[in-house]
Amino acid sequence: MMAAAPAVETKDLVKVFERGRRTIWQRLRRERDKRDRFRAVDGIDLVVEPGEIFGLLGPNGAGKTTTMKMLATLLIPTSGTIRVLGIDPLARPRDVRARLGAMLSGERSLYWKLTARENLEYFAALYHVPPHEIKARIANVLAAAKLTDRADDYVERYSTGMRQRLALARALLPDPPLVVLDEPTVGLDPQASRDLRDRVRELKAQGRTVLLTTHYMEEADQLCDRVAIIDHGRIVALDTPAALKRTIRAEEVVHLEIGLDGDDSAVLDRLGQSAIVARSERSNGTLTVTAHCASARNFVPAAFDAARSTGSTIRHVEVVPVTLEDVFLALTGRALRE
Amino acid sequence: MSLLAADLRAFFAAALKELRQQRRYPTLFLGQLFWPAILPASWVLMGRAYSGNDPQALAAFAERAGSSNVAVFVFVGYAMYNWLSALLWGAGTALRQEQLRGTLEAVFVTPASRLVPLFGPGVGTLLPMALTFASNLLALRIFFGIFPPVAAVIQAAVIVVLGIPALYAIGALFAASVLRFGEVAPVVQLIRGVFVLACGITFPVAMLPLWAQFSAKLMPPTYIVDDIRRVLLRGDTIADVAGDIVIVLCLAAVTAILAVAVFRYLELSARRTGMLGRF
Repeated sequence: MMAAAPAVETKDLVKVFERGRRTIWQRLRRERDKRDRFRAVDGIDLVVEPGEIFGLLGPNGAGKTTTMKMLATLLIPTSGTIRVLGIDPLARPRDVRARLGAMLSGERSLYWKLTARENLEYFAALYHVPPHEIKARIANVLAAAKLTDRADDYVERYSTGMRQRLALARALLPDPPLVVLDEPTVGLDPQASRDLRDRVRELKAQGRTVLLTTHYMEEADQLCDRVAIIDHGRIVALDTPAALKRTIRAEEVVHLEIGLDGDDSAVLDRLGQSAIVARSERSNGTLTVTAHCASARNFVPAAFDAARSTGSTIRHVEVVPVTLEDVFLALTGRALRE
Repeated sequence: MSLLAADLRAFFAAALKELRQQRRYPTLFLGQLFWPAILPASWVLMGRAYSGNDPQALAAFAERAGSSNVAVFVFVGYAMYNWLSALLWGAGTALRQEQLRGTLEAVFVTPASRLVPLFGPGVGTLLPMALTFASNLLALRIFFGIFPPVAAVIQAAVIVVLGIPALYAIGALFAASVLRFGEVAPVVQLIRGVFVLACGITFPVAMLPLWAQFSAKLMPPTYIVDDIRRVLLRGDTIADVAGDIVIVLCLAAVTAILAVAVFRYLELSARRTGMLGRF
């Protein structure tokens, strides 16, 4: 039996944008194009298997959305190849769009002066849903989004969470095998985020493939079967969340706030003898340190000793389990939210 | 369901969506009723003030315009101006609003033909325009006691309908550039100005220099407005203006092909540069 084609496959995918403007006058005079070239996506190789929830995790500007837009046929790559459900989106964009449920700009992608039902009727026609199936499809997606009782309200009267759920409902109108979600929970309160994550899990249970971008490490950790950590347009790590967390060779993460007046190199050297100092930042007489260690039980007393011996004071200690944030930190030296 | 049938359904869904959105602002329809009645009436009164109802002045007007009925001439011109504005702005404004609102990308990730968002929303302007024409006719009756023969009105309506593809295609040509350049209102203003000046909208083409009269013959609105006046003012029939209608339909076909080609080229450019999602 032949294996199913990957839901998404990219090879050496590159997208270069120009920064700045080239005026009509410069074009008419055929002046040399002096705009900067910016590689938003810089050689991404990706294979998303059918039926998995795959996350692209990275800070803002890492290239996640640009990648999504290339998969969704909204952007043409500068170079590299893409296959979506085995189809080349450059050669057959309409075939890709017919099989793809996309939620790319969330609540802004809806008509606020129409009701939810009117929005869905319009998009059902755009998605070429057969006329005799439209009513049932709309009823199904509304019920799944828990919006049936508000279906005839104007979208402008919805909360942000309801609009996000409606945007997801719209993406499911064509009954797509592949769903791409760009930052699906951004701007939502914790309850609304949980609701939406539950919906994403339901999509997987229905056998669909989900590709999502996020800059929330908890979201990627809880939701995704596999995660690609992306930074400056490149994938810096790709594996299951558990395997990624194992790569930093630490069982626990300790955050310290140390008060000190003089040079911080001595205390950092001492701390470095008992743990890996993943990050340190000095601000107004306080040194904030993130340390990866095998055991906080051993490291914390050593940290107090280090502080005492260098004339500084530990003001705050926090021990947390390893997260994907720590993986990102270990790989790039920066926090996800920087 | 064939692809063409599915796209046609999507096309009418786009028109319905525009009408539904317009319905949310019913006061906009009031503007469609009052202004088209009042403004051309004021132009007619202004003309009467200039001529002082002097028979010589009216004869001079009739010589250039083909009729001494100034009121109908002006009202037809104004209706044409309104119609031209609506169709020139309609498609572009709809696309621009989609871009600003953030819905354009959601529409563009569906399998519907790109011609649906280009041409579909413009259909939503037809109902308000029908209201405008009705208001024009009513104003002629109320202010000047004129009501053209019903047969002539029906034939004028047929010419209006046959002229839609041409004006629609011109509007689509400018709408396409929204994808790549975002705001194109100043260009549309300029083109509308050229049409108003060159196509005999508010004054007879005979007033223009010869080279401008020749240019006017390349523009569909020239034929449409002239043919409407011929059936309303001079008693001509559709058969008499059939030659003009053929020319208008040919110009419509050429402009529509050009609009689709420009749209495709600019859409590709927008997908290369990322302009689809920017505004």
